[in-house]
Amino acid sequence: MDQSQRPNVPAGQQGTARTRSVASTKAAAPMVHAPSTDVPLRFAVTGMAALVLGVCWLALRPDILATYHYNQYVVAVTHLFTLGFVCSVIMGAMYQLVPVALETSLYSERLARWQFGFHVIGLAGMVWKFWVWDMTQVGHFATVFACGVGMFVYNVGRTIRRAPRFDLIALGLTSALGWLSLTVIAGLYLAAAKCWNFSPFGAMAQMHAHAHVGVIGFFVMMIVTVSYKLVPMFALSDVQNQRRARASIWLLNAGLAALATAILLQSPWKLGASWVVILGLVLYVLELRAIFTARKRRAVDWGLRYFFTAVAFLVPECVLAVVLCWPGLPATLVTTQLETVYGLLAILGVVGLSILGFSYKILPFLVWYRVYGDEVGKHKVPSLAQMYSARLQAVIYWLWLPGLAAVSISTALGSEAAVRASVGLLIAGLVLHMINAGMILSHLWSPRFDGSTQT
Amino acid sequence: MVSEIRWFNPNLTAIPMRSPMIDEADVYEVLHQVEDPELGCNIVDLGLVYGVIISGDQVKVQMTLTTPGCPMHETLIRGVQTALLNLEAVGQVEVELVWDPPWHSSMMTDYGRARVGAI
Repeated sequence: MDQSQRPNVPAGQQGTARTRSVASTKAAAPMVHAPSTDVPLRFAVTGMAALVLGVCWLALRPDILATYHYNQYVVAVTHLFTLGFVCSVIMGAMYQLVPVALETSLYSERLARWQFGFHVIGLAGMVWKFWVWDMTQVGHFATVFACGVGMFVYNVGRTIRRAPRFDLIALGLTSALGWLSLTVIAGLYLAAAKCWNFSPFGAMAQMHAHAHVGVIGFFVMMIVTVSYKLVPMFALSDVQNQRRARASIWLLNAGLAALATAILLQSPWKLGASWVVILGLVLYVLELRAIFTARKRRAVDWGLRYFFTAVAFLVPECVLAVVLCWPGLPATLVTTQLETVYGLLAILGVVGLSILGFSYKILPFLVWYRVYGDEVGKHKVPSLAQMYSARLQAVIYWLWLPGLAAVSISTALGSEAAVRASVGLLIAGLVLHMINAGMILSHLWSPRFDGSTQT
Repeated sequence: MVSEIRWFNPNLTAIPMRSPMIDEADVYEVLHQVEDPELGCNIVDLGLVYGVIISGDQVKVQMTLTTPGCPMHETLIRGVQTALLNLEAVGQVEVELVWDPPWHSSMMTDYGRARVGAI
């Protein structure tokens, strides 16, 4: 037997403590455990469409941001962004990434396909019925959406149970699934309470609790968890302190449980609970900084820059959180507009920019995997970075950053004209983003192979 | 019987296979064709290939990934199998994925480090 040993591996250290062996002959195709990219791609495209629609809607109706936020139009557009854009992208990505991140296989692809149908019908119906403020129908469509979420939670939950170990990522994912379930239950309760007027809680308190559980519990928790996996992967680094990383997730969980309760009961403990959430986020940022400092890859691509900028948005977001939950803060025109800015920065700043950044990893990967996954070793296939324009990414970044700042200031000032003008910057960025997304998606029908194929 | 395999890499001339014996250099040359699409570098220069064992028409590749749970996990393993099975003398390929020793950037070649932009 002829054995070749690579010089970079010390002799005797060809360890097999955790090994996996896959054999293949010319007659037998190799095993495939990764799920199909079909469903994740549908979710990703739905998410992008919802983002474009939502931002264009803001340009057509700037009063949505420039006036007090508790009205049917704000609720409709908020659900378009949160369920249409954020949930769609996150759910689609989870179907692809959770199995590979946890080194297992998706529990059921069929269930994922069914969920997509429930998701789109429920989402479209909810946004439409919120807009015309027909809460009975909102309740019906929300039930359809909730059925889809139930399928998602069950599917991903069963997938997590299959994982060989319950690690940091599994902890974060389980937490996020729990909060997602609670958000949906709270949403259904809200709709039912509107129809039958039975709730002992204040309407605003219920809505704010529902929003915080959804945004912090599902969106932020998911971003924190996924970044603990993806940032080390892309930057060639590792989680530097597992205890700190776990503590950040537990503090987010504990803080959010206290915060949601305090908001619901309109308790002054809101501020204390906020500090616990902020402490969790501080630990997260410290860990992220440690991961980044220990990276082996010098270059930081635009996808990661988008993400780190989104994380930086946590600073104004936390400052606003502390100010807005200060005991005895009067509800004035300024403070209510600041509440809108708080929501805007959370959804389009922290969450939206994170998703845009990761979408430059997720979307190319999904398309690449679908088109070129079986071609590796047969043809020369493009790298992920060759599927889109980094120059366009830079332009988009420099349109979105001032765009978000301008929209926030315009919203705080309550100026419709200024909101419309500044949303224009976001739309310009989105147009370029769509061009980049189109370049990525074009590989689906026009694969690009360099060089000749093996004969 | 003389067969000839022409590879897609324009810098790589045709590899003539003049006997059913598997040449270790050919195996590594073929493995150079398998690239990690995220890092834009082939698995050999990334230092992911820990060893190759040739036995008759069988090739066993011992390799790792940059991180456990890498989304390219299946693709890279399949790519290694597909690429090696294209060598006429290869009848069976076994890919053994190991995590010990864990991959480290120092395992990359100079070319790999340059491609990845490693510190």
